[in-house]
Amino acid sequence: MARIIVVTSGKGGVGKTTSSAAIGIGLALKGHKVVLIDFDIGLRNLDLIMGCERRVVYDFVNVINGEATLNQALIKDKRVSSLSILPASQTRDKDALNKENVGRVLEDLGKRFDYIICDSPAGIEAGAMMALYYADEAIVTTNPEVSSVRDSDRILGMLASRSRRAELGLEPIKEHLLLTRYSPKRVEEGEMLSVEDVEDILAIPLLGVIPESQAVLKASNAGEPVILDVESDAGKAYQDVIDRLLGETVEFRFLVAEKKGILSRLFGG
Amino acid sequence: MSEANIEFKGSSFTLSVLHVRTLILADFRADLMKKVAQAPDFFYLVPIVVDIERVDSSIDYQAVKLLVEEFKFTFVGFTGSVSKEQRKLIRELGFSFVNSANNAVNNTSNSSASNTQNVEVSTKTVIAAEATVTKVEQTEIVPQLALFTDKIHRGQIRSGQQIYAKDQNLVIIGSVSAGAEVIADGNIHVYGSLRGRAIAGAKGHHQAQIYCQSLEAELVSINGNYWLSESMEKHWSSPAYIHLSDTELVSSKLI
Repeated sequence: MARIIVVTSGKGGVGKTTSSAAIGIGLALKGHKVVLIDFDIGLRNLDLIMGCERRVVYDFVNVINGEATLNQALIKDKRVSSLSILPASQTRDKDALNKENVGRVLEDLGKRFDYIICDSPAGIEAGAMMALYYADEAIVTTNPEVSSVRDSDRILGMLASRSRRAELGLEPIKEHLLLTRYSPKRVEEGEMLSVEDVEDILAIPLLGVIPESQAVLKASNAGEPVILDVESDAGKAYQDVIDRLLGETVEFRFLVAEKKGILSRLFGG
Repeated sequence: MSEANIEFKGSSFTLSVLHVRTLILADFRADLMKKVAQAPDFFYLVPIVVDIERVDSSIDYQAVKLLVEEFKFTFVGFTGSVSKEQRKLIRELGFSFVNSANNAVNNTSNSSASNTQNVEVSTKTVIAAEATVTKVEQTEIVPQLALFTDKIHRGQIRSGQQIYAKDQNLVIIGSVSAGAEVIADGNIHVYGSLRGRAIAGAKGHHQAQIYCQSLEAELVSINGNYWLSESMEKHWSSPAYIHLSDTELVSSKLI
């Protein structure tokens, strides 16, 4: 059975799509068959981050409505062959999805892939509920600031009450905390919540901490998921996330501000 | 939580009690007429309970009811310390029997009065419409603290979630997030941080208390008296419990 993982947050702009893309590529690079689904119907973004926007012919809604087959709609990633993308529709809205049809598509995908990554839209409305409904695991993406944490808390409540697993009384969705845009320097200055603060409020296991990095913006604009930028802090942090998702114990990095050495201070490095 | 359209609650009222001391309906009627004539407006549609303690069980219940209704009282039911059999009979005839808190006390003084029943004297004070404070005890009255059982929730209460322990204490093994709401008719115990809203003694229980390992609540309320976080400074972020002293909320150190 494929593992269905939803990447969700409640709040918008915290890095759901960036994380979905990075995790999708990361798992595929480890040799797993992965499909990334963009659930943000009407605000199609995942294809941009993945750099395949010019290859979209059919989309998720076409498949749901029976206007295209999965084979027609799935876009194979050019960098990693075991990764496919199912793009969202830009012209429809979230009402185009319903539980029954989404369930059918996920079942079909489950036969071909090891991991199904669902990139959730922001909010707690129908679209976000649809993205999390069938999930086995959830990666709750959170920025270290109060409103994002509050919204993540709300989403955790939804995962525990509105998902298929909750409705059927099955084992609850496995929750992971992914802290993004983390700046140790600003934490030290008291401008940002610390990892401990967020963990204390949300009380779910920490999957990863992605440092605030210029590399993320650069990667997004280039359509090259940041995990492929192996030299960047963010890329390395996402790499750790993949290892933890696959059950390894990896020490957390990038949690403390770098002390500038005397030489780099002198030479302005 | 969906709001029910109706709700049963216990409450106490002051009811007028009409003590009947004769079996002769004509006398009853004459005295009642006299009494009502003194203040017709006062008695208009007044709910009335008829005390039949001083008369024997051969009284015509239906006739008594019609009589008080004829004088525009609103008939509620019968009361008095009477035998179980008589109560049963009253109920079988389709009338309600109202239990009075005073019934037990009246019981003892009753025997001496009953043997004067046939004497003329009894008709002198046939009827007295007394505004006696009588408690109408309904089945649902806020249970005493000892009667509360516990509703136990394991895990966090997340923002946007609401949990209500009806007629129970609420025990949460986990934290209550900001934006969440926990409500109990009894006490609330949070084995974690209380960051959301906690409403104890929701149905009106003065002795209810709220306990938590870290007080960071948005709002706490006991029996309708509430505090916002600004009032909790004294024990903020520390183990504390909140209780009522008269109508003032008080927070105290827990450990």
